[in-house]
Amino acid sequence: MNCSSVDLKAHFLGETARAEKNSVEDHLRACQNCREELDRLKLTDATLRTLVDEEPPQRIAFVSDKVFEPRWYQTIWRSGPAMGFASAALLAAAIVAHGFSVNGPARQVATPTVNTAQIEQRIEREVNNRLDAVVAKQRQQTVEMLDAAEKRFEAKRQTDLAVVQQVAQYYQKKTAQLMVAVNQERPPQ
Amino acid sequence: MIFREVEDRDLIAKARRGHVDAYNVLVSRWEKRVFNYLLRLVSNREDAMDLSQDVFLKAYQNLKKLEDPAKFPGWLFRIAHNEAFSLLRKNRPEGEIAGELKSGESSSRMFPIELNLAVQSALGRLSDDQREAVLLKVYQGFKFEEMAEILSCPVSTVKSRLYTALDLLKQTLAPVNMGGTE
Repeated sequence: MNCSSVDLKAHFLGETARAEKNSVEDHLRACQNCREELDRLKLTDATLRTLVDEEPPQRIAFVSDKVFEPRWYQTIWRSGPAMGFASAALLAAAIVAHGFSVNGPARQVATPTVNTAQIEQRIEREVNNRLDAVVAKQRQQTVEMLDAAEKRFEAKRQTDLAVVQQVAQYYQKKTAQLMVAVNQERPPQ
Repeated sequence: MIFREVEDRDLIAKARRGHVDAYNVLVSRWEKRVFNYLLRLVSNREDAMDLSQDVFLKAYQNLKKLEDPAKFPGWLFRIAHNEAFSLLRKNRPEGEIAGELKSGESSSRMFPIELNLAVQSALGRLSDDQREAVLLKVYQGFKFEEMAEILSCPVSTVKSRLYTALDLLKQTLAPVNMGGTE
Protein backbone atom coordinates (compact mmCIF):
# COMPACT_ATOMS: atom_id res chain seq x y z
CA MET A 1 0.00 0.00 0.00
CA ASN A 2 1.38 3.43 -0.97
CA CYS A 3 0.45 6.97 0.14
CA SER A 4 -1.94 7.64 -2.76
CA SER A 5 -3.93 4.47 -2.12
CA VAL A 6 -4.37 5.24 1.60
CA ASP A 7 -7.61 7.09 2.49
CA LEU A 8 -6.11 8.75 5.54
CA LYS A 9 -9.11 10.99 6.21
CA ALA A 10 -11.55 8.07 6.18
CA HIS A 11 -9.20 6.23 8.55
CA PHE A 12 -9.03 9.27 10.84
CA LEU A 13 -12.83 9.66 10.78
CA GLY A 14 -13.31 6.01 11.76
CA GLU A 15 -14.86 5.06 8.41
CA THR A 16 -12.29 2.48 7.26
CA ALA A 17 -13.47 -1.11 6.89
CA ARG A 18 -11.93 -3.53 9.40
CA ALA A 19 -10.06 -5.44 6.68
CA GLU A 20 -8.46 -2.25 5.37
CA LYS A 21 -7.70 -0.81 8.81
CA ASN A 22 -4.69 -3.06 9.46
CA SER A 23 -3.02 -2.27 6.15
CA VAL A 24 -3.50 1.49 6.74
CA GLU A 25 -1.93 1.13 10.18
CA ASP A 26 0.97 -0.85 8.69
CA HIS A 27 1.51 1.92 6.16
CA LEU A 28 1.40 4.58 8.89
CA ARG A 29 4.13 2.79 10.84
CA ALA A 30 6.35 2.90 7.76
CA CYS A 31 5.51 6.38 6.38
CA GLN A 32 6.64 9.52 8.18
CA ASN A 33 4.69 11.86 5.83
CA CYS A 34 1.36 10.14 6.45
CA ARG A 35 1.98 10.12 10.21
CA GLU A 36 2.56 13.88 10.10
CA GLU A 37 -0.58 14.38 8.00
CA LEU A 38 -2.57 12.33 10.51
CA ASP A 39 -1.22 14.52 13.34
CA ARG A 40 -2.32 17.65 11.46
CA LEU A 41 -5.81 16.18 11.04
CA LYS A 42 -5.97 15.33 14.75
CA LEU A 43 -4.91 18.85 15.66
CA THR A 44 -7.51 20.42 13.33
CA ASP A 45 -10.21 18.16 14.74
CA ALA A 46 -9.22 19.02 18.33
CA THR A 47 -9.34 22.73 17.50
CA LEU A 48 -12.77 22.38 15.87
CA ARG A 49 -14.08 20.61 18.96
CA THR A 50 -13.16 23.57 21.19
CA LEU A 51 -16.26 25.30 19.82
CA VAL A 52 -18.73 25.26 22.70
CA ASP A 53 -22.37 24.33 22.10
CA GLU A 54 -24.77 27.15 22.89
CA GLU A 55 -27.98 26.76 24.87
CA PRO A 56 -31.06 27.60 22.76
CA PRO A 57 -32.35 31.06 23.82
CA GLN A 58 -35.71 29.53 24.66
CA ARG A 59 -37.11 26.05 25.20
CA ILE A 60 -39.25 24.52 22.48
CA ALA A 61 -42.45 23.00 23.80
CA PHE A 62 -45.75 22.10 22.23
CA VAL A 63 -49.11 22.52 23.91
CA SER A 64 -51.75 19.84 23.66
CA ASP A 65 -54.46 21.14 21.34
CA LYS A 66 -57.79 19.30 21.69
CA VAL A 67 -58.64 20.05 18.06
CA PHE A 68 -55.73 17.93 16.81
CA GLU A 69 -55.94 15.19 19.41
CA PRO A 70 -57.55 11.91 18.32
CA ARG A 71 -61.20 11.48 19.28
CA TRP A 72 -62.08 8.87 21.92
CA TYR A 73 -63.48 6.54 19.27
CA GLN A 74 -60.27 6.94 17.18
CA THR A 75 -58.17 6.02 20.22
CA ILE A 76 -60.32 2.93 20.90
CA TRP A 77 -60.36 1.99 17.22
CA ARG A 78 -56.54 2.05 17.11
CA SER A 79 -56.22 -0.03 20.29
CA GLY A 80 -56.80 -3.76 19.68
CA PRO A 81 -57.22 -4.91 23.33
CA ALA A 82 -59.49 -1.97 24.18
CA MET A 83 -61.59 -2.69 21.11
CA GLY A 84 -61.98 -6.34 22.23
CA PHE A 85 -62.92 -5.29 25.75
CA ALA A 86 -65.43 -2.75 24.45
CA SER A 87 -67.05 -5.40 22.21
CA ALA A 88 -67.31 -7.84 25.15
CA ALA A 89 -68.83 -5.12 27.39
CA LEU A 90 -71.34 -4.20 24.67
CA LEU A 91 -72.36 -7.84 24.29
CA ALA A 92 -72.81 -8.25 28.07
CA ALA A 93 -74.89 -5.07 28.24
CA ALA A 94 -77.09 -6.31 25.38
CA ILE A 95 -77.72 -9.63 27.20
CA VAL A 96 -78.63 -7.85 30.48
CA ALA A 97 -80.90 -5.38 28.64
CA HIS A 98 -82.63 -8.25 26.88
CA GLY A 99 -83.23 -10.00 30.23
CA PHE A 100 -84.84 -6.87 31.72
CA SER A 101 -86.98 -6.25 28.68
CA VAL A 102 -88.53 -9.75 28.96
CA ASN A 103 -89.23 -9.89 32.75
CA GLY A 104 -88.04 -6.54 33.99
CA PRO A 105 -89.14 -4.68 37.13
CA ALA A 106 -91.53 -1.74 36.93
CA ARG A 107 -89.51 1.21 35.73
CA GLN A 108 -89.49 4.49 37.61
CA VAL A 109 -88.64 7.58 35.67
CA ALA A 110 -86.97 10.25 37.77
CA THR A 111 -87.82 13.80 36.91
CA PRO A 112 -84.61 15.81 36.60
CA THR A 113 -84.42 18.87 38.80
CA VAL A 114 -82.10 21.73 37.85
CA ASN A 115 -80.23 23.43 40.68
CA THR A 116 -78.48 26.45 39.21
CA ALA A 117 -76.66 27.30 42.45
CA GLN A 118 -75.04 23.85 42.50
CA ILE A 119 -74.05 24.15 38.86
CA GLU A 120 -72.48 27.56 39.46
CA GLN A 121 -70.60 26.18 42.45
CA ARG A 122 -69.27 23.31 40.39
CA ILE A 123 -68.21 25.63 37.59
CA GLU A 124 -66.45 27.94 40.04
CA ARG A 125 -64.70 25.02 41.70
CA GLU A 126 -63.59 23.66 38.35
CA VAL A 127 -62.34 27.08 37.17
CA ASN A 128 -60.39 27.55 40.41
CA ASN A 129 -58.83 24.11 40.09
CA ARG A 130 -57.73 24.77 36.51
CA LEU A 131 -56.42 28.22 37.46
CA ASP A 132 -54.42 26.79 40.36
CA ALA A 133 -52.94 24.17 38.05
CA VAL A 134 -51.89 26.80 35.48
CA VAL A 135 -50.38 29.08 38.14
CA ALA A 136 -48.47 26.14 39.67
CA LYS A 137 -47.17 25.10 36.25
CA GLN A 138 -46.03 28.64 35.44
CA ARG A 139 -44.35 28.95 38.84
CA GLN A 140 -42.51 25.69 38.21
CA GLN A 141 -41.42 26.87 34.76
CA THR A 142 -40.15 30.18 36.21
CA VAL A 143 -38.12 28.32 38.84
CA GLU A 144 -36.64 26.04 36.16
CA MET A 145 -35.81 29.00 33.91
CA LEU A 146 -34.13 30.84 36.81
CA ASP A 147 -32.10 27.74 37.66
CA ALA A 148 -31.01 27.36 34.05
CA ALA A 149 -30.07 31.06 33.84
CA GLU A 150 -28.05 30.83 37.05
CA LYS A 151 -26.18 27.83 35.72
CA ARG A 152 -25.46 29.62 32.45
CA PHE A 153 -24.18 32.72 34.25
CA GLU A 154 -22.00 30.60 36.51
CA ALA A 155 -20.51 28.76 33.52
CA LYS A 156 -19.86 32.09 31.77
CA ARG A 157 -18.30 33.50 34.94
CA GLN A 158 -15.97 30.49 35.20
CA THR A 159 -14.95 30.87 31.55
CA ASP A 160 -14.27 34.59 32.00
CA LEU A 161 -12.32 33.86 35.16
CA ALA A 162 -10.17 31.33 33.30
CA VAL A 163 -9.50 33.88 30.56
CA VAL A 164 -8.55 36.57 33.08
CA GLN A 165 -6.20 34.12 34.80
CA GLN A 166 -4.60 33.26 31.47
CA VAL A 167 -4.14 36.94 30.65
CA ALA A 168 -2.62 37.57 34.07
CA GLN A 169 -0.24 34.62 33.67
CA TYR A 170 0.74 35.82 30.22
CA TYR A 171 1.60 39.30 31.48
CA GLN A 172 3.41 37.92 34.53
CA LYS A 173 5.52 35.80 32.20
CA LYS A 174 6.20 38.76 29.92
CA THR A 175 7.16 40.98 32.89
CA ALA A 176 9.53 38.31 34.18
CA GLN A 177 11.10 38.00 30.72
CA LEU A 178 11.53 41.80 30.54
CA MET A 179 13.09 41.91 34.00
CA VAL A 180 15.57 39.20 33.00
CA ALA A 181 16.37 41.06 29.78
CA VAL A 182 16.87 44.36 31.63
CA ASN A 183 19.11 42.72 34.22
CA GLN A 184 21.20 41.10 31.50
CA GLU A 185 21.64 44.38 29.62
CA ARG A 186 22.45 46.46 32.71
CA PRO A 187 26.27 47.06 32.99
CA PRO A 188 27.86 45.48 36.04
CA GLN A 189 28.41 48.01 38.83
CA MET B 1 -26.61 4.32 24.32
CA ILE B 2 -28.83 1.28 23.75
CA PHE B 3 -31.13 2.24 26.63
CA ARG B 4 -31.36 5.79 25.31
CA GLU B 5 -32.34 4.47 21.86
CA VAL B 6 -35.09 2.33 23.37
CA GLU B 7 -36.39 5.29 25.33
CA ASP B 8 -36.48 7.50 22.23
CA ARG B 9 -38.37 4.78 20.36
CA ASP B 10 -40.87 4.56 23.20
CA LEU B 11 -41.38 8.32 23.17
CA ILE B 12 -41.87 8.31 19.40
CA ALA B 13 -44.50 5.57 19.73
CA LYS B 14 -46.34 7.57 22.39
CA ALA B 15 -46.09 10.81 20.41
CA ARG B 16 -47.57 9.02 17.40
CA ARG B 17 -50.61 8.16 19.53
CA GLY B 18 -51.08 11.89 20.26
CA HIS B 19 -49.17 12.22 23.56
CA VAL B 20 -47.80 15.75 23.27
CA ASP B 21 -45.93 15.49 26.57
CA ALA B 22 -43.95 12.50 25.28
CA TYR B 23 -43.03 14.53 22.21
CA ASN B 24 -41.95 17.44 24.40
CA VAL B 25 -39.53 15.13 26.21
CA LEU B 26 -38.14 14.02 22.84
CA VAL B 27 -37.77 17.68 21.80
CA SER B 28 -35.93 18.56 25.01
CA ARG B 29 -33.41 15.79 24.24
CA TRP B 30 -32.67 16.96 20.70
CA GLU B 31 -33.30 20.72 20.66
CA LYS B 32 -29.75 21.72 21.70
CA ARG B 33 -28.11 19.61 18.98
CA VAL B 34 -30.53 20.76 16.30
CA PHE B 35 -30.25 24.41 17.38
CA ASN B 36 -26.43 24.37 17.30
CA TYR B 37 -26.37 22.61 13.92
CA LEU B 38 -28.70 25.26 12.50
CA LEU B 39 -26.89 28.11 14.23
CA ARG B 40 -23.55 27.11 12.69
CA LEU B 41 -25.21 26.67 9.33
CA VAL B 42 -27.21 29.92 9.10
CA SER B 43 -24.99 32.00 11.47
CA ASN B 44 -27.93 33.82 13.04
CA ARG B 45 -29.40 33.05 16.46
CA GLU B 46 -32.96 34.20 15.74
CA ASP B 47 -33.12 32.35 12.43
CA ALA B 48 -31.68 29.23 14.08
CA MET B 49 -34.32 29.40 16.83
CA ASP B 50 -37.19 29.93 14.36
CA LEU B 51 -35.91 27.10 12.18
CA SER B 52 -35.58 24.79 15.21
CA GLN B 53 -39.24 25.37 16.06
CA ASP B 54 -40.26 24.72 12.46
CA VAL B 55 -38.17 21.55 12.37
CA PHE B 56 -39.78 20.08 15.49
CA LEU B 57 -43.27 21.07 14.35
CA LYS B 58 -42.74 19.41 10.95
CA ALA B 59 -41.26 16.36 12.65
CA TYR B 60 -44.37 16.07 14.85
CA GLN B 61 -46.72 16.46 11.90
CA ASN B 62 -44.85 13.79 9.91
CA LEU B 63 -43.94 11.42 12.73
CA LYS B 64 -46.24 8.73 11.34
CA LYS B 65 -44.21 8.70 8.11
CA LEU B 66 -41.04 7.70 9.99
CA GLU B 67 -40.83 3.99 9.17
CA ASP B 68 -37.97 3.00 11.47
CA PRO B 69 -37.85 4.90 14.81
CA ALA B 70 -34.16 3.93 15.17
CA LYS B 71 -33.48 6.28 12.25
CA PHE B 72 -35.03 9.26 14.05
CA PRO B 73 -31.75 11.27 14.39
CA GLY B 74 -30.97 11.14 10.67
CA TRP B 75 -34.61 11.79 9.78
CA LEU B 76 -34.74 14.81 12.12
CA PHE B 77 -31.51 16.27 10.71
CA ARG B 78 -32.82 15.74 7.20
CA ILE B 79 -35.79 17.99 8.05
CA ALA B 80 -33.37 20.48 9.62
CA HIS B 81 -31.17 20.39 6.51
CA ASN B 82 -34.15 21.08 4.23
CA GLU B 83 -35.37 23.96 6.40
CA ALA B 84 -31.92 25.53 6.67
CA PHE B 85 -31.20 25.35 2.95
CA SER B 86 -34.61 26.83 2.04
CA LEU B 87 -33.67 29.83 4.17
CA LEU B 88 -30.10 30.01 2.86
CA ARG B 89 -31.31 29.90 -0.74
CA LYS B 90 -33.84 32.63 0.00
CA ASN B 91 -31.41 34.91 1.84
CA ARG B 92 -28.22 34.43 -0.08
CA PRO B 93 -27.36 34.25 -3.77
CA GLU B 94 -25.82 30.93 -4.79
CA GLY B 95 -22.08 30.54 -4.28
CA GLU B 96 -21.68 33.46 -1.93
CA ILE B 97 -19.43 32.67 1.02
CA ALA B 98 -20.30 33.99 4.45
CA GLY B 99 -17.97 35.24 7.15
CA GLU B 100 -14.73 35.69 5.21
CA LEU B 101 -11.74 35.79 7.54
CA LYS B 102 -9.48 38.72 6.86
CA SER B 103 -5.82 37.86 6.35
CA GLY B 104 -3.76 38.10 9.50
CA GLU B 105 -6.89 38.01 11.65
CA SER B 106 -5.89 34.85 13.46
CA SER B 107 -3.33 35.49 16.12
CA SER B 108 -0.43 33.24 16.94
CA ARG B 109 -1.58 33.01 20.53
CA MET B 110 -5.20 32.26 21.35
CA PHE B 111 -7.32 32.58 24.46
CA PRO B 112 -10.51 30.46 24.72
CA ILE B 113 -12.83 33.18 23.41
CA GLU B 114 -10.46 34.06 20.57
CA LEU B 115 -10.16 30.36 19.75
CA ASN B 116 -13.94 30.10 19.55
CA LEU B 117 -14.06 33.07 17.20
CA ALA B 118 -11.23 31.68 15.08
CA VAL B 119 -13.04 28.35 14.68
CA GLN B 120 -16.31 30.13 13.86
CA SER B 121 -14.53 32.28 11.25
CA ALA B 122 -12.79 29.24 9.76
CA LEU B 123 -16.14 27.45 9.45
CA GLY B 124 -17.61 30.63 7.95
CA ARG B 125 -15.05 30.55 5.15
CA LEU B 126 -16.34 27.21 3.93
CA SER B 127 -19.19 26.92 1.44
CA ASP B 128 -22.58 25.99 2.93
CA ASP B 129 -22.27 22.41 1.66
CA GLN B 130 -18.75 21.95 3.01
CA ARG B 131 -19.64 23.50 6.38
CA GLU B 132 -22.68 21.25 6.70
CA ALA B 133 -20.55 18.16 6.00
CA VAL B 134 -18.20 19.17 8.84
CA LEU B 135 -21.11 19.88 11.19
CA LEU B 136 -22.73 16.51 10.54
CA LYS B 137 -19.49 14.53 10.83
CA VAL B 138 -17.38 16.30 13.45
CA TYR B 139 -20.07 17.77 15.70
CA GLN B 140 -22.97 15.33 15.20
CA GLY B 141 -21.00 12.12 14.58
CA PHE B 142 -23.05 10.78 11.66
CA LYS B 143 -21.61 8.05 9.42
CA PHE B 144 -20.98 8.69 5.71
CA GLU B 145 -24.05 6.58 4.79
CA GLU B 146 -26.30 8.51 7.19
CA MET B 147 -24.96 11.82 5.90
CA ALA B 148 -25.72 10.74 2.33
CA GLU B 149 -29.34 10.06 3.39
CA ILE B 150 -29.65 13.38 5.19
CA LEU B 151 -28.20 15.33 2.28
CA SER B 152 -29.82 13.23 -0.47
CA CYS B 153 -26.56 12.74 -2.33
CA PRO B 154 -24.09 9.89 -2.99
CA VAL B 155 -21.48 8.94 -0.39
CA SER B 156 -18.77 10.03 -2.85
CA THR B 157 -20.17 13.59 -2.80
CA VAL B 158 -20.27 13.58 0.99
CA LYS B 159 -16.63 12.49 1.13
CA SER B 160 -15.56 15.04 -1.46
CA ARG B 161 -17.21 17.93 0.43
CA LEU B 162 -15.86 16.79 3.78
CA TYR B 163 -12.31 16.15 2.59
CA THR B 164 -12.08 19.54 0.85
CA ALA B 165 -13.46 21.21 3.97
CA LEU B 166 -10.92 19.45 6.20
CA ASP B 167 -8.04 20.54 3.93
CA LEU B 168 -9.24 24.15 4.04
CA LEU B 169 -9.75 24.06 7.80
CA LYS B 170 -6.28 22.58 8.27
CA GLN B 171 -4.79 25.56 6.46
CA THR B 172 -7.00 28.19 8.10
CA LEU B 173 -6.54 26.88 11.62
CA ALA B 174 -2.81 26.14 11.25
CA PRO B 175 -1.72 29.44 12.93
CA VAL B 176 -4.16 28.73 15.76
CA ASN B 177 -2.79 25.23 16.21
CA MET B 178 0.79 26.53 16.19
CA GLY B 179 -0.18 29.03 18.90
CA GLY B 180 -1.85 26.33 20.95
CA THR B 181 1.25 24.16 20.96
CA GLU B 182 3.61 26.89 22.13
